[in-house]
Amino acid sequence: MRIGEMKSSFNEFWGEFRKVKSGMIGLVFLGLFLMILFFEPLLLPFEQANSRWKDITYWEDNPASAAPQWTNFFSSKKSSVSMPLEAEKKEVKNAGTIRIIEETFLYDYQYDAAPSDIIFRASGQANPTVIISVERPDGKKIDLLRKPLEVTQGKDLRIAIDKTSLNEAYNFLKSMDAATGLSKQTLKTTDILFSKVEESVVFTPQALKGEYRIMVSLILQKETDVIESTEMKVAGRVQGILGTDNSKRDIWSGVIAGVKWAMLIGLLTALISVSIGVVYGVMSAYLGGWKDSLMQRIFEIFISVPMLPVLIVMSAVFKPNIWMIIFIMCIFYWVGPVKTVRSMGLQIKEETYIEASRALGASNTRIIFKHMVPLLIPYAFASMALNVPGAIVVEATLSLLGLGDPNIVTWGQILQDAHNGGAMLSGMWWWVVPPGMAIAFMGMTFAFVGFAMDKILNPKLKTR
Amino acid sequence: MFWKYMLKRVFYGILIYIILIFVFSALFNTVMEQTLRGQIDEEIRGELMALDNRSSQQIQDFIEMRRAEKYALYRLDKPIFERIVWRTWSTLTLNLGKSSSIRSAAGDRNVWAIVSEKIPRTLILFSSAMLIDIIIGIWLGLKKAQKAGGVLDKSTSVGTMVVFGMPSWWLGMILIMFFAYTIKVFPSGGLHATPPPEGIAFFLDALYHLALPVMTLVVIGFWGRAFLTRNIVLGVLQDDYIMAARARGIPERKVLYGHTMRTSAPPIVTMSLLALLASVSGNIVFEGIFNWPGMGNLFWFALQQNDVPVLMGNLAITTGLYICGLVLLDLVYGLLDPRIKVGGRA
Repeated sequence: MRIGEMKSSFNEFWGEFRKVKSGMIGLVFLGLFLMILFFEPLLLPFEQANSRWKDITYWEDNPASAAPQWTNFFSSKKSSVSMPLEAEKKEVKNAGTIRIIEETFLYDYQYDAAPSDIIFRASGQANPTVIISVERPDGKKIDLLRKPLEVTQGKDLRIAIDKTSLNEAYNFLKSMDAATGLSKQTLKTTDILFSKVEESVVFTPQALKGEYRIMVSLILQKETDVIESTEMKVAGRVQGILGTDNSKRDIWSGVIAGVKWAMLIGLLTALISVSIGVVYGVMSAYLGGWKDSLMQRIFEIFISVPMLPVLIVMSAVFKPNIWMIIFIMCIFYWVGPVKTVRSMGLQIKEETYIEASRALGASNTRIIFKHMVPLLIPYAFASMALNVPGAIVVEATLSLLGLGDPNIVTWGQILQDAHNGGAMLSGMWWWVVPPGMAIAFMGMTFAFVGFAMDKILNPKLKTR
Repeated sequence: MFWKYMLKRVFYGILIYIILIFVFSALFNTVMEQTLRGQIDEEIRGELMALDNRSSQQIQDFIEMRRAEKYALYRLDKPIFERIVWRTWSTLTLNLGKSSSIRSAAGDRNVWAIVSEKIPRTLILFSSAMLIDIIIGIWLGLKKAQKAGGVLDKSTSVGTMVVFGMPSWWLGMILIMFFAYTIKVFPSGGLHATPPPEGIAFFLDALYHLALPVMTLVVIGFWGRAFLTRNIVLGVLQDDYIMAARARGIPERKVLYGHTMRTSAPPIVTMSLLALLASVSGNIVFEGIFNWPGMGNLFWFALQQNDVPVLMGNLAITTGLYICGLVLLDLVYGLLDPRIKVGGRA
């Protein structure tokens, strides 16, 4: 087939395809996925989500197991949202050789559930003494920390108030005579900081709303000490579009980062395996005779293999990376189109133009690839589209068993973490639903496209 | 004629099984070797603990001796090809050996005992799901074919596509989360309550535990079945004899259920049984999610425990069942469709 011929037959196909509504919807979804793929860096709130997904230090400032931010709309009890705090003022005082960096952060707290943590970070090269205190809307002031600490290049100073200042918070309660009978272990620092002073603070904390001023002073003793930047973050109870998992990772980032892998796995597996299957089927049909018999016997061996168990065992044996997984899947997926293609090939083989080109002395390869395979391209595309979801599901299944590629983020791996982390038991739906939804949605997209093509190729299925 | 076809098909089935087991053996022997050597060393170390007052020379000799004995037992002293053949043979004769850590309910470490107690459970789960699935699917498929292109047909076809790429185990997770943990009407998994009740309550309890996984499988399965039935029935409806039947004035209902169904039944049944076979061998994770103590769950567990004999045994038996199913299917099909036995394969 020449290019022009190809183009006109494509136009014809497109004209038919446009009439199938579900197919067009599928194409729109596909476009959506491609957009996500293309604009991935803009959509990721955590830019290094891809490379540092398994690196817990990258995620440590997030709250653990936080619900999505928008759940606040549906809840009468508003949970605090994760956010960075602005420094209201920053000044450096000099007292002889000692320098003091003073910063005040403002936090307008208007929620019912206290943040899970407040985190202060500083980078540079110094040995500062850090003093942190907070002034509450009710006028009470709590000293949270006074400690000499160390900052080195490459390793930030990180202070998580919730953990480091429990003593101070407890003492504050005590000084207000509100701590009788309470053991320190049952208390949470942020609950004390952001609640009215009452004895019920451990069970039913009453939120103290208003403006909090968190003051940080860094006392630098030496000339050579440098503090480059400081920041303060509130780790809330709800965060982001899809919340976080129990190791503080942002699930939205994971789901978005998983799009390209799902696409890659699905499309590459479908492309390779269907191409092999089509060529194999045509060859088997065209060559005929004992070659056909032999090829059919080999094909029969492959279809007799229960795919998933063998796939799992192979993955367990080889501990594969993603390319290996795709390769192994192709070993089992290529059989899909063979039977149909062979029967189609048997028909095509009898056409007179095949006979003519054989009479002209065309080689087998030429006849198969130039005259027979092109006729099967529409079928091959439909079959590819319908193979994509299967491949994605199989990869997700392997990942769920812990056999996925550890260096990438796939939806299956997020689900594995969710399953192992007891997300079902603790009702963390935002951890279980989105990745699976993404798998189902991508499967649906390709199903829409594939079924639409199928419908065009088999006019019998339209009406009765 | 049918006998000849049958013998041929069974022979092919057995041949394919032997080839596959050979491949698996080769695959496993490479992994098995290290695991087995490590295991033997550990056993010998255990035996050494029981001995005392030996010189280091004697201990060395003892280790050498025991190691040689054990290697001979597992044929580790033989070349790899011979080992592969030997393992193939012992697997084919169902001599699956002992597991390295997993035990059966009775405490047995025989792989055959471990796997065989799981087979009925897996079959119960998937065949009951498939039965409901087929009933709903065929009913809906006929309804769809009756008014192809109608509202019902279109809307349910969308349903087919929606669940097309949905992992059944994910739906299982969602349903467990909702039904077992949020509104607490179904158990979260397992085969029985602990402790299992006695008498009639035993069966009711099993049914109760069966409900959620079966529901999940049906919810995700019947769409595809309906779509397939629709396509097959639609194909048949365009045959000339249907037109002839209609022309004779036979009522539409009778045309559909009598004439059309008779022709479409074999492919529908085949497709359904193929799906059953695929789901028995393919729903490993599904059983794991529901903690259903079947073959899939065993597979997952053996994988985590790195228990190679159980993995191999389970794989051999799953493959055996799968091939048996395929052969049986072909034979039944050959019985139903006379064209096949004459022409070899359709």
